[in-house]
Amino acid sequence: MGTTITKEQNTAAAQAAADNLAERFADAGITIEILAHSAGKKFDFVRITCSPDQWRAVAKHLKHELGVNHCAMVTGTHYPDGGADRGWEVAYHLHRWPIKNVEAHTMTVHEGESLEGDDIPMEFEIFIPLAAGDSPSVPSVQDIWVGADWNEKETWDLVGIDFEGHENMHRVLNPHDSPTGFHPLQRQHKIRYHDFNEMYDDPQGFDRKPVDEGRVK
Amino acid sequence: MAEMWITMGPQHPMTHGLWTLRVKVDGETVTDTEAELGYIHRGVEKICESRDFTQITPYCDRLCYVSAMTWAHSYVMAAEDLLEAEVPERAEYIRLMAAEVQRLASHLMWLGAFGPDIGNLTLMTWCLRDREMFLDLLQELGGSRMHYNYPRVGGVKRDIPIGWANRLKAKVKLFENRIKEYEMLLDESTIWLVRLQGVGYATAEDQIDAGVTGPNIRAAGVNADARWTNPYSVYDQVDWEPAVEKPTSVKGADCYDRYRVRMEEMRQSCRMLLDAIEKIPGGANTHYQPGDEMLITKAPTRAPEGATGFSTYECTRGVSNFYLQGGGDGRGKNPYRVSIRSPMFITIPYVAKTMIGYKVADIPAIMGSFDPCIGETDR
Repeated sequence: MGTTITKEQNTAAAQAAADNLAERFADAGITIEILAHSAGKKFDFVRITCSPDQWRAVAKHLKHELGVNHCAMVTGTHYPDGGADRGWEVAYHLHRWPIKNVEAHTMTVHEGESLEGDDIPMEFEIFIPLAAGDSPSVPSVQDIWVGADWNEKETWDLVGIDFEGHENMHRVLNPHDSPTGFHPLQRQHKIRYHDFNEMYDDPQGFDRKPVDEGRVK
Repeated sequence: MAEMWITMGPQHPMTHGLWTLRVKVDGETVTDTEAELGYIHRGVEKICESRDFTQITPYCDRLCYVSAMTWAHSYVMAAEDLLEAEVPERAEYIRLMAAEVQRLASHLMWLGAFGPDIGNLTLMTWCLRDREMFLDLLQELGGSRMHYNYPRVGGVKRDIPIGWANRLKAKVKLFENRIKEYEMLLDESTIWLVRLQGVGYATAEDQIDAGVTGPNIRAAGVNADARWTNPYSVYDQVDWEPAVEKPTSVKGADCYDRYRVRMEEMRQSCRMLLDAIEKIPGGANTHYQPGDEMLITKAPTRAPEGATGFSTYECTRGVSNFYLQGGGDGRGKNPYRVSIRSPMFITIPYVAKTMIGYKVADIPAIMGSFDPCIGETDR
């Protein structure tokens, strides 16, 4: 039989993590919920909703107190009809996995059923709603998880959300000479197959300047 | 000595796809690197916003043509989370078997492409020969060699054909012996060992911090595997254990460990397949008609506004995630947002940095040992 994490372990770990967060951020106005997936084994996960100002404090707490060691993905979403308080949203998905370095010629073989406490894998979802406007911005957590680095680059590149304090921000999926301010996952851009005026105001490219002009190649 | 930048790619055998590695060298030593991606960015996330939940599956197949089945499976799991669909147990078993056959095919493609990197051309022909056996099995399910469009939200498209189980058993048993042949070919080859051992060290903690997952992290001595840490499907009911390798140094796993862990993973997939074919509810040689309740349940086609779906899936190259948002009535049957995490998108920049300090000649060995796939990287 394959080893596995049981639903009981998962529920207990989600509760422990949520209690810990609720105690630390008691009066900060952060929403902490335990929700369950409706597919697969219907496991619980912790969803945190916080403001951009609180995000770095939450991230540090997750990393150093709760052992969250993996930044899985960063998703930016544009809500042109979302109202003044929620014109944009950034979702961070984080995982905690029991991964530690091993000595040479040894290995760690976890038995899922016997894991306890902070070793139990857990999934965290952080929502950061941003006010409507032309310059959505959240603090970067590039220095907390190295894995957030390219995820944030991608989110800026495709959605146009700025990450304050992110070093070496540049285009990763779009061409590096895409016009400044062109972020294709924003809602004003429609998919058009035969009319590329939609993509570039200047289809001939006479005035186009690469956004990373002057960068050392 | 003067340092200079060399551009490897986008057309270079080392890249296994289309991307550029810029290498700063001091003589033969790599002193800095920079990865440039995006050459085959197709805007899948944007396209998916104008497709309904069923129409998205073929796009997910095309994220990585080497492991289409696992990507489609990963997507339908997120869609099931969003739409609250139940999956029949027989369908879960079929999906598990399809994904594991795909894992064998994908690892064989990796090994076949990795061989010529190291100077072993024989390996390419051997691996593609064996991969064809598994592609034939998948073709019987999905109808085409590479892009199957087989999993559905709530189940699978059709049942396994009569006789598929017997062919699967015969091929897996044959392949278990073939793995030994590969090991005789490779583990006793001095060139193979000299090129792989002692280069490309990466520790477990460094890798997980950088977001590297899957076989690469299991090579560093930890059995972290989303098939048991974030369990899905019926992996808790079949006989297997996560492949894991003892790293040969305190500096972590080298290229040889990453090769070994994938060989072991293929063995585990074989073991899983042979067990699953015995345990499948309804029997392996029964054929249910498409749409039967053993295969698929009816799933809602519209997602309410504010609903989200998320999946964590052990793809062949690491953990893939899908994150979907429902859009309510205004969006019809389409999702509001589809976001995809590709394991290789995170891994390639990390691997580029691990090359610093090694020789230029080690670059193909290090890069190839992490199993890059550019289709899923650029999306």
